[in-house]
Amino acid sequence: MAYRKDDGNKEPVCLFSEEHVRLIKDQYKDWFDKSLREEDRQTEGKYFTHSGIPVKLAYTPADIENVSYIEDIGFPGHAPYLRGVYPNMYRGRLFTVRQLAGLGAPEDCNERVCYLLDHGATGVNILFDMPTIRGYNSDDPEAEGNVGACGAAVDSVWDMDAFFKDIDLGTVSTSIVTHLPSTSLVIPGMYFAVAEKRGTPLSKVAGTCQNDFIMETCVGSGYEILPPSVSFRMQCDTVEWICKNVPRFNPISFNGYNLREAGTDAVAEVAIGISNAIATAEELIKRGMKFDDFAPRMSFFWDLHNDFFEEIAKCRASRKVWYKVAKERFGAQNAKSMLMRFHVQTAGVTLPATEPLNNIARSAIQGLAAVLGGCQSLHIDSFDEAYSAPTEEAALVSLRTQQIIQTETGVCSTVDPLAGSYYVEYLTDQMVQRIFDYISKIEGLGGLVQAVESGWLHREIVSYNNKYQEKIENGQMKIVGVNYMKTDNSKTAPIQVFEYPETYSRQKAKLERLRKERNDRNVEEALSILRQKCHTTENLYPYCLDAVRNLATLGEIEELFREEFGLWSFPLL
Amino acid sequence: MDRKIKVVMAKLGLDIHWRGVYLVSQFMKEAGMDVVYLGNKFPTEIVEAAIEEDADVVGLSSLSGNHLALGPIVVDMLREKGLDRVKVFMGGVMPPDHAKRLEKEYGVQKVFLPDTPMQEIIDGINAAVGNTH
Repeated sequence: MAYRKDDGNKEPVCLFSEEHVRLIKDQYKDWFDKSLREEDRQTEGKYFTHSGIPVKLAYTPADIENVSYIEDIGFPGHAPYLRGVYPNMYRGRLFTVRQLAGLGAPEDCNERVCYLLDHGATGVNILFDMPTIRGYNSDDPEAEGNVGACGAAVDSVWDMDAFFKDIDLGTVSTSIVTHLPSTSLVIPGMYFAVAEKRGTPLSKVAGTCQNDFIMETCVGSGYEILPPSVSFRMQCDTVEWICKNVPRFNPISFNGYNLREAGTDAVAEVAIGISNAIATAEELIKRGMKFDDFAPRMSFFWDLHNDFFEEIAKCRASRKVWYKVAKERFGAQNAKSMLMRFHVQTAGVTLPATEPLNNIARSAIQGLAAVLGGCQSLHIDSFDEAYSAPTEEAALVSLRTQQIIQTETGVCSTVDPLAGSYYVEYLTDQMVQRIFDYISKIEGLGGLVQAVESGWLHREIVSYNNKYQEKIENGQMKIVGVNYMKTDNSKTAPIQVFEYPETYSRQKAKLERLRKERNDRNVEEALSILRQKCHTTENLYPYCLDAVRNLATLGEIEELFREEFGLWSFPLL
Repeated sequence: MDRKIKVVMAKLGLDIHWRGVYLVSQFMKEAGMDVVYLGNKFPTEIVEAAIEEDADVVGLSSLSGNHLALGPIVVDMLREKGLDRVKVFMGGVMPPDHAKRLEKEYGVQKVFLPDTPMQEIIDGINAAVGNTH
């Protein structure tokens, strides 16, 4: 897909007149030659952004001479949405403070979630332990040692009920960080089943689930992995069913975040996220849906890394790319289909274990970039990232950092305050072009599902990581306290570490009780229907929901998928 | 001395974070070691692979909290098979006192925590295995 600067015949009105630009170019040359010392001039061509965009010593209008305000930048809440998805942005609604919570048993999480809500969090972001993420019950042998660690254990609808005890599912907005399509068929269904049981209509249930086949097949390695095409089909099943039945729930969050953490640059992060959105849209259109039926419910998830201006430019560029894809490729009519709304998490991968308190500064700067980039919701990582899940103290510092950005810095008073910066506009334009080029590259490989199946994407990640690590090893990439300004005692700074509550025995007891109390015949029947449906093209969601309502466990359903669809071997082995 | 150091590397159990273990595996190869990366495996499978590959070193990566539960099992199973000479190294994200316990109480040769330079890992393995080679 080619990036077109201007799609009409009319001449765009640029920010600066040709004559003005010519004058600036002449004087720039003069300034460069006469004001700078030879050694300063020698530095030109040696600076790059993290993703490799050349960075000049100084930018002028000449660097954005072809940019038209109306066509290329536009007003906030107007096409091409570069400046933000809403006209009033944070004056209308501040970004949602959505800190992650997940540890131990669901009962423990409920305490942490209530704690965060009591301290002003406005959304809930729940994450799970590895067995839940990868689709095993807490008492499956594969789960050993991971139950309740780094996230909550959820085995059945009972656990979801306990997770949200005393929380009104009709008013809270919950992000359910399911990662995989195969578990997104099941875990949000548990949430919906709890809402139904409490009498909350599904029309009032708001939130997001992650549901990204790249997570299942590429970002994370796994013990047992479903094939990419199966995972992709499940991803689309969830989007289709939720769009039709839970209208305020976002059924997918195209996850650039974890991909970036696994190893890509900012360009690939956004391009792969959008490529997945394109593939999903094409599949759903094949199934008879209209783009405008589902696109307004698609959301994205970006990772804000250290390169401050490039990350801001990335956020701005990503909105414009999605606008053009929605409008030009899919003929979107509904303006909401063209809005890229995204959640941001600061970059865990940038937070070293050495001198952990420094991470408060790193995360605050990354969080600030997210806000200057116009995010819809934000999670700021905690300083103890490289040790364990955050302690309550560390989680509170992250929450407070968000509130400080929101209320003390003034950055939310005006929309997209960096617009018009020659550098930021130049970078944004560069990002737009590079994202489109990368999307074209993936299409040239036959689309994203094939790029994963062939192992191409895995090799991209490996190649990026090799270069990144090399730069750390040779000191080209400086990390304060780690390979730069290192002190002898930096590693010994004391830090309190979060200890996970004992979870296995409590989950095991609950599962035993569940198996005793549930109606086995109903479970077997629901599972047997689901098993048959795996071999049809029917949407699997309603059958999973039915199994969940009948108290089938996550592990039972996922094991069924593994049996019916078979396993895929991770390409790097 | 002619034989290369043979390393079997694995992601422990269900942990999904493969960036680090894969990078370390590649640096080991560049440093002249013979490395087999198994992907995600559980202790029994890891020990079987160590036997099959006639490994000098087993490297285990864990970033999601299963280090204390599964790491010691690998060490114990190797001992039970009489493979005391196989050194077990671990790496990943864990509280520093857990790392100390793995080294002092559970027979893990060394745990490499975040921010460890690659060369330190290579040197650590060479030092531990060098004298038996």
